[in-house]
Amino acid sequence: MALEQIADKVVDTDVLVIGGGIAGCPAAAKAADHGLRVTLVEKSNTTRSGSAAEGIDHYGGFFPRGMTTQKFLEVAEEMGQPFFDQRLRYAHPDSVYRMYANGQWAVEELEKLGVTMRWTDGEYRFRGCHHPGPFLRVHWQNVKPEMAIGIKKKGVNVMDRTMAVDLLTHKGAVSGATAIDTRTGEFIVIKAKAVIMASGACSRIYNPETPQSWKYKYTYHWCPASVSGDGWGMAYRAGADMANFEMAGRGTRFRDDKNLSYGNHGNEGIPAKSINFEGIERPRGLRSADPSGNSEPNYNSFEHLPDDYHKRIEVCYVDERLLSFKIAEERGFDPRHHWYEIIDNRPNQLHFGPGIWTDGDFKATLKGLYVAGDVLHGNGGCFAAATAGFIVGDEVPNFVNKAAEPVVDEAQLESLKQAALAPLSVKDGTEPTELEVSVRYVCDRYVGVSRAEGKLREGSRRLGSLRREFLPKLIAQNPHYLMRALEVRNLFDIAEMHITACLERKESRYEHARLDYPAADPALDGMFTFQRLQNGKKVFEMRKRPEFNMALYETK
Amino acid sequence: MALADEQGHYESKFEFPLWKIIKQHAQKKDISYQQASLEVLPDYEKGIRYRDTAYEEEVIGKRLKEMAEIAQRAKR
Repeated sequence: MALEQIADKVVDTDVLVIGGGIAGCPAAAKAADHGLRVTLVEKSNTTRSGSAAEGIDHYGGFFPRGMTTQKFLEVAEEMGQPFFDQRLRYAHPDSVYRMYANGQWAVEELEKLGVTMRWTDGEYRFRGCHHPGPFLRVHWQNVKPEMAIGIKKKGVNVMDRTMAVDLLTHKGAVSGATAIDTRTGEFIVIKAKAVIMASGACSRIYNPETPQSWKYKYTYHWCPASVSGDGWGMAYRAGADMANFEMAGRGTRFRDDKNLSYGNHGNEGIPAKSINFEGIERPRGLRSADPSGNSEPNYNSFEHLPDDYHKRIEVCYVDERLLSFKIAEERGFDPRHHWYEIIDNRPNQLHFGPGIWTDGDFKATLKGLYVAGDVLHGNGGCFAAATAGFIVGDEVPNFVNKAAEPVVDEAQLESLKQAALAPLSVKDGTEPTELEVSVRYVCDRYVGVSRAEGKLREGSRRLGSLRREFLPKLIAQNPHYLMRALEVRNLFDIAEMHITACLERKESRYEHARLDYPAADPALDGMFTFQRLQNGKKVFEMRKRPEFNMALYETK
Repeated sequence: MALADEQGHYESKFEFPLWKIIKQHAQKKDISYQQASLEVLPDYEKGIRYRDTAYEEEVIGKRLKEMAEIAQRAKR
């Protein structure tokens, strides 16, 4: 049977890039530079999608020109190391090294793509703050439109409003993906020799604590509502190794709809004071000692700062979240006199730790699948995304030029099509938002910050019950809501991986805290959790993280 | 600090100085806030003293000590 008889549209390409963000656009651009046919799918609009939609005010953590690896590590040591240590904790050390070593090259490639890194005076403006190594303050309010224009100029076939749904596989290798047009509802098959997954992290399995959280509001501008872990769901269902899903991010956020960016202050080097609800100053960055949250509320104060610092914060808002001005205006919030309430002890998103596992060359365990950006295990932030994207785009031709024509298994395709379009046929079912809120409730109540065997098992039971009873009843009245329904399907897979990893890791370490195993288990030092689906069955194992041998890199 | 229950907090409008400039420029040129923000930023930056070396060295030194303390606590 011809594919055109199964799908409404068939696209044939060399490289499929899933996600039009800070990783996907560089990857697509670089692959196109090598003369490959590149198709990029983005479920919203590449011009203003994903975590960088409103802009970014910083870029970096890379070796300055001429710095050796040894020196870089010394600098990180001087800065207290937690940031560098965080990078190595969850990631393959080879991939971390490659990102840092190629940081300068990525800056040059971004300039070629039309994304300027220079400050208003035409020079680079380096900052040294909580990142080891230098990073740049940038005016990246329009980074997304600039990248969108850049990739189109390079001839990338950009399919906006197209949600990738499932990976196609044949004999253990990817052969493309299925997708839906979120406007027309067309079912699309994209045949590809290689797939670059750049779909971002996941910010929707925990309650965002915004008012009316059952609506699709931002959890945080850096990881907005559209970032629903679609790539993780796809890779997991296709059988790729997924790593570290017990590590939920507990990054600091501001309360009050989380819309006054915390990141801005750190990125500009603004020295805020951290104050608890008793008015006592405490060291910044110290996670609340009490997992129950009874030490909250905590605040950041900028009252003590000279006027120049307040103006610098304002410039950060222009670069990364212009909307913050309007919200502050409507609420009468003045940081010269008021304190920002912060949240720093809530699992608000899966970021930095979990992800699709790869080797040091960003290749997943599924042949032909490459990974870049926040969807990659152990990574996060625009520097890591852009650099990994360029590296992958630069190297994928080596694979594509030797790869055979992709084979689409028609039986697999029919099955995936049926699963993807099922919500459109349900007459009296469950709204996607309703089911999503139930998933978040399970994670908030039974997983959260302080985990324990009994709580996790109950959470697992409830999630399983929701999946069996309500997932088949998801209803979608139109293609846009079909997208929402498919996002919820991905959220189930992610929540399931999250709970499983939390159950299996019987110790407390980093962002994973078990009430019943409160100490780190030395036997689990350097061990990562891995999960995958194998012939429809869940497989879990723990494996040693590859060692970082600095001597191997010194001569590179 | 002015707490939530004190008069004036969340009760009256407040405009960041730069936001006021952006809005005025947008109204004057009949352009979006986003476009206006890009046009007014260069001049606004000229009035900012980005390098206050003595103060920065003091606070960065304090921050380094804080981060080292946090790293030590994390190791325990």
